Amino acid sequence: MSSISLKNVTKTFGAKTVLGNINVEVPAGEFLVLLGPSGCGKSTLLRMLAGLETVSDGEIHLGSRRVDTLPPSARDMAFVFQSYALYPHMTVRRNITFPLIMRKFRWWFHIPLLGHFAKRRIESSPEVRELVDRTAKILSLTEMMDRHPRTLSGGQRQRVALGRAMVRQPEVFLMDEPLSNLDAKLRSSMRAEIIKLHRDLGGTFVYVTHDQIEAMTMGTRIVLMHAGEAQQIGTPREIYTNPANTFVARFIGTPAMNLVHARLEGSQLGIGELKVPLPAHLGVRGADSGANVLVGVRPNALAIGADTTQPGIAGTVGLVEHVGAESIVTVRLDTARTAHDRDGGTADEIMVTEAGYSTLSAGSKVRISLDLDQAVLFAADSGKRISNDIPLPAGTAHPALQLQPQH
Amino acid sequence: MKKTTLDWRQALLMIVILGMLGITAFPIYWMLVTSTTSSADLFATPPHLLPGLAQWHVFRDVFGSTDVGTWLVNSAIVAVGTTVLSLALAVLPAYALSRFRFAGIAIVGLALFVTQMLPEAMLVVPLYAIFGQLSLLNTLTGLILVNTAFTVPVITWILKGAIDGVPMDIEEAASIDGCSRLGTVFIVVIPLIAPTLAATAVIAFFHGWNEYVFAQTLVSAPELHTASVGLAGFVGELSTPLHSVMAIGLMYTLPAVFFYLLVQRYVVAGMTAGSVKG
Repeated sequence: MSSISLKNVTKTFGAKTVLGNINVEVPAGEFLVLLGPSGCGKSTLLRMLAGLETVSDGEIHLGSRRVDTLPPSARDMAFVFQSYALYPHMTVRRNITFPLIMRKFRWWFHIPLLGHFAKRRIESSPEVRELVDRTAKILSLTEMMDRHPRTLSGGQRQRVALGRAMVRQPEVFLMDEPLSNLDAKLRSSMRAEIIKLHRDLGGTFVYVTHDQIEAMTMGTRIVLMHAGEAQQIGTPREIYTNPANTFVARFIGTPAMNLVHARLEGSQLGIGELKVPLPAHLGVRGADSGANVLVGVRPNALAIGADTTQPGIAGTVGLVEHVGAESIVTVRLDTARTAHDRDGGTADEIMVTEAGYSTLSAGSKVRISLDLDQAVLFAADSGKRISNDIPLPAGTAHPALQLQPQH
Repeated sequence: MKKTTLDWRQALLMIVILGMLGITAFPIYWMLVTSTTSSADLFATPPHLLPGLAQWHVFRDVFGSTDVGTWLVNSAIVAVGTTVLSLALAVLPAYALSRFRFAGIAIVGLALFVTQMLPEAMLVVPLYAIFGQLSLLNTLTGLILVNTAFTVPVITWILKGAIDGVPMDIEEAASIDGCSRLGTVFIVVIPLIAPTLAATAVIAFFHGWNEYVFAQTLVSAPELHTASVGLAGFVGELSTPLHSVMAIGLMYTLPAVFFYLLVQRYVVAGMTAGSVKG
């Protein structure tokens, strides 16, 4: 088990920079999730860690060793591929044993027959056999050790790929979207298995995904990436509660955080016609009165009412989605604008979650009132957060070890 | 009702397949008939369609009167040598063409094709001079070398296509598991392209087995004649002993057919390998 440290890691293809100046310290035993939309460079970063891509600039250290100049085989990192990348011509047992055979590989193993016997000898040695059988048992693969990968289901193949990584007892596990080829139900049970694996093996994990549910439930820390840059590094809770900028705010949370255009007016916030007093603890930094800001409010921090005489943001219900325990109401605003249109998202719409079965229907006139206690403010031009951190309760550093997987 | 239509279609398909099979196999059968028909009946109308059992001694006779045994052995040496050498020489260039990006890769690929456009006959004279200096005239090694030179470019291209179909992930997994680049080729890539290797082995084997121009010109010693040259030697100015030619021809054809039957399972898999990914 080792710590990893990335120092100014950069990747360029010709003149194009795909990853710029990534600095991350990963303590030993951490489950670090690289999260971001496709094309953000998260997989490239993982492949650079593994040695499958060269590092254009910067350094990667594993414990006290510098590894970015070493070939993949010398880094002692296991890699789980999205496509599983099992060896199709080998049985499950051979697939899992393969890294152990390669560890004792000599050049003369290439000689036909002679090499064959040498490999079988390693394979049948008690310590290798015991290790492989134990790995298979943990992953419930014992029944299918003599089958070929093509006869296995997606979930079984995934477990074989995990087994091939585990059997090496590596310093670091690297996983590149290992669950994205599985169906939803299997994905949630494999999620639980990987969390359990991390707890039992205690290795350092680096896990790439574009799925925020995976990131929030599995990671002890998340690196949220966009356009080749780390937007924010923090625990899932930090990232959810205190997004560093509007990209993070929009990316995390289903439905996403609402971003509403507003103006700072002394100790008040002007949202369209509405004036709302600004709670003192938000403590706006580096923005003067009169500045344009974006107010970020989670859909569950908004209240919606059909009484149009109440103060609030005026709007018309566009869509009501009943999701069982709660309802998601999409409201088209009459005046104040929201900031989602920049991404081609929903312009001038606010999403509100209401507990229970909403009685609203499309077309009703409503008023939305906001609770600014849990709100965050962003500068309208740079998108950076300008309000203070909302303090988090202690003991939330390792949510993956506490959370039960969701189903 | 539907079932009977299906059966009827299958029967028709079967008839077509059998017909085509007949057309393909007929020359071989005709060689058997001709070699075992007496000279008097050869040109009879209507022709004899069944082999004459009384004439089986023709096969024994040709072994007695000619060196057909030696010729077949020489052909086998040349064909097997060409196959082994071609595959050994083509695998690594094919891997490089498939996996590496280097300056001039397009030119290398093109050059491989250009070599296929030169007629063998054009190269006979310069090769004769070169082989003379290298003491390769009158050797089977020389024939293996020259045949290999003609098969390697084709085989390289076919193998490149097969290696293109091996997912990069699998190679990367092997490198993470501790394989060197060369180790990856031998341990992972070659087993995965085995069907295509079998298909290219057939190509190389047939080329070596059938080759005539170089076997005729670069080798003059009778004990080093291949079957193709030996067979041609029967075609005389005044008369051609049809029985013997056909008997030897049959013996010349059958080993190649058997070799093909041996690997055909893989050849078919190899030919469809490109279309199905995985």
